[in-house]
Amino acid sequence: MLKITNLHVSVAGKQILNGVNLSVNAGEVHAIMGPNGSGKSTLAQVLAGREDYQVTSGAVIFEGRDLLAMPAEERARAGFFLGFQYPVEIPGVNNVYLLKAALNAKRKSAGLPEVDAYEFLSLIKEKMKFMHMSESFLTRGVNEGFSGGEKKRNEVLQMLVLEPKLAILDETDSGLDIDALKIVSEGVNSLRGPQRATILVTHYQRLLDYIAPDQVHVLGGGRILKSGDKSLALELEKRGYDWLVESAVA
Amino acid sequence: MSAVMTPAMRSFESQWQGRRADALSPWRESAMQRFLALGVPTVHDDSWRYTNMRVLQAQSFRDAGANDSALSAPGDASWLTDQGRIPSILIVNGHPRLSAVAAQIDGFEIRSLRELVATEPSRLSRYLEATSDADQRRWELLNTALFADGLHIEIKRPIDTPLCLVHLTGGAGEGNAAYPRVIISAAPGSRATIIEHHLNVGTEATLCNSFTQAELGAGAQLEHYRVFTGHEDATQFDSLDVVQDRDSSCRQFTIALGGSVLRTTLQSRLGEAGAALDSYSLLVGHGERHVDSVVIATHGAPATRSRQTARSVASGSSRTIFNSKVIVSAGASKSDSQQSCRGILLSPTAEIDSRPQLEIHTDEVKCAHGATTGRLDPEMYFYLLSRGLDRDTAQSLLIFAFVADVLTRISLPAARAAIETALIAQLPNAELLRAFR
Repeated sequence: MLKITNLHVSVAGKQILNGVNLSVNAGEVHAIMGPNGSGKSTLAQVLAGREDYQVTSGAVIFEGRDLLAMPAEERARAGFFLGFQYPVEIPGVNNVYLLKAALNAKRKSAGLPEVDAYEFLSLIKEKMKFMHMSESFLTRGVNEGFSGGEKKRNEVLQMLVLEPKLAILDETDSGLDIDALKIVSEGVNSLRGPQRATILVTHYQRLLDYIAPDQVHVLGGGRILKSGDKSLALELEKRGYDWLVESAVA
Repeated sequence: MSAVMTPAMRSFESQWQGRRADALSPWRESAMQRFLALGVPTVHDDSWRYTNMRVLQAQSFRDAGANDSALSAPGDASWLTDQGRIPSILIVNGHPRLSAVAAQIDGFEIRSLRELVATEPSRLSRYLEATSDADQRRWELLNTALFADGLHIEIKRPIDTPLCLVHLTGGAGEGNAAYPRVIISAAPGSRATIIEHHLNVGTEATLCNSFTQAELGAGAQLEHYRVFTGHEDATQFDSLDVVQDRDSSCRQFTIALGGSVLRTTLQSRLGEAGAALDSYSLLVGHGERHVDSVVIATHGAPATRSRQTARSVASGSSRTIFNSKVIVSAGASKSDSQQSCRGILLSPTAEIDSRPQLEIHTDEVKCAHGATTGRLDPEMYFYLLSRGLDRDTAQSLLIFAFVADVLTRISLPAARAAIETALIAQLPNAELLRAFR
């Protein structure tokens, strides 16, 4: 589904990614871990199509298409979804409107008619209930005045409505209490299936107690230093990242 | 010393010479002589540095009539009356047509200035006195000299029903000039909402030089709107002076959606402790429009509060200017002010100037200001694109979200809806935004 080959990325003249290689197949859940500043968020943002991040070399193929050649909005319509680490507040743009516009944009590019207003509202309400979100969400601006946890829940809600083929969730677990973590994990798990894949970017092993990954990767210095199964996450929990980063430098 | 006698100046003088004497003539005479000596402001006057009067100087103006045939039956001229549900008074070229409806609103006492000049001029003369900064206020001087009629509105107690003043300027032929004058006097403890909607009839060049003065007694609350939707050849200078007593509050909205050259001024004097001003300006530059807006809050007493919020959007080759000033006088300690001016440029040929200024003559004050002008917020834009929205939709939504900072403060739902509709028509991709609502 996704194949990243030798990806190099610089941000404001500074090289952040130095040759990332990663393959994600349909049906899989991957976790990307790593210390602060290792390039995890840069990878997530560049895959979503941020234009001020410069790809200096490398290739990304998504569902047989050259992902890097597609503008951000086209990536979303093709089934790519980024759950933001810091979802932005957009007062004045209503949550429901954004969701509806997003869903219709996707449907339009797939040659489907616009969603019926009544059906759409019942869909949203069902998903909101699943995510334990209050009805007041319907009338508020995008993430406006939301707590950190509410913003993360809203990201997962958007994901559930848009049903992407590939979702990258950038530290969706950070700042969540244990109840919210369970809700968010249930949301992610509910979308697991043989046709979809998920990449979890996280600092903590904790999330992986709720969402079992097929593969775990450690990013450091802009490259994948080590890949393994779930046991690698447990080892990182015990030993930290230093041993990996040091051996990579040596 | 006299000012250069341009065609415009000569025409103002000729209008003055055509005026009949009335009980206010001494004040008017003094204002006119001062105006003639000073002349039309030029870009060398600091407050007018962004607005060039050269085109106006070459024009010639004449008194617009009160009963022009083109002005017959414009009963529903304003879209701000909620389809007639908000009582309104039509003011044609400065001459009010006092309706029975408005007279019946309990709590308002509304009289024409023409009537008051004839019967109780002593109640008006103090409004005509020149202020110490009269040299900076030349259009107000001209209005004082030339207003033929107008309204005196007393607010006697808390009133829930808003009142809409519909100012129509224009008529047959070019160069019609009107000088609407409105005096609002809010009794202590009273409350009201007054909307002034300025628009034109016809399409030919006009000048509207309007002046509204409001006095708020102790604890009085006034919500005042002025909405400008003049046509593409209309020039308007609108001045609003507010004098506020103890614990009074004024919420003021200035919505610029029309005209060729539009200059608006708001001066509030927070004269006693506890007085508060919340001013909101929405300046929309469109086509070749020029909007120059000035807001000056003078904190003249301790523990006074002012908030100035301005949002500008400029497209085409339009230009919007927001001059915002807070003056804290000596002794006005514990004054609290905030100025927030933000602008978005929607075309490379548009221009936005924001100038927040502070003049503080005392210690122990809290004054904050911020001004930004630029393009749309890139983080918000990327977020919307990452959800699959096309670029036009994302841009339109963000522009609308940007002006929502002012729109959401409008407390009259019908007025807000009407203003939104008029605003959307002037934004890029209007049809997308209509669907969004």
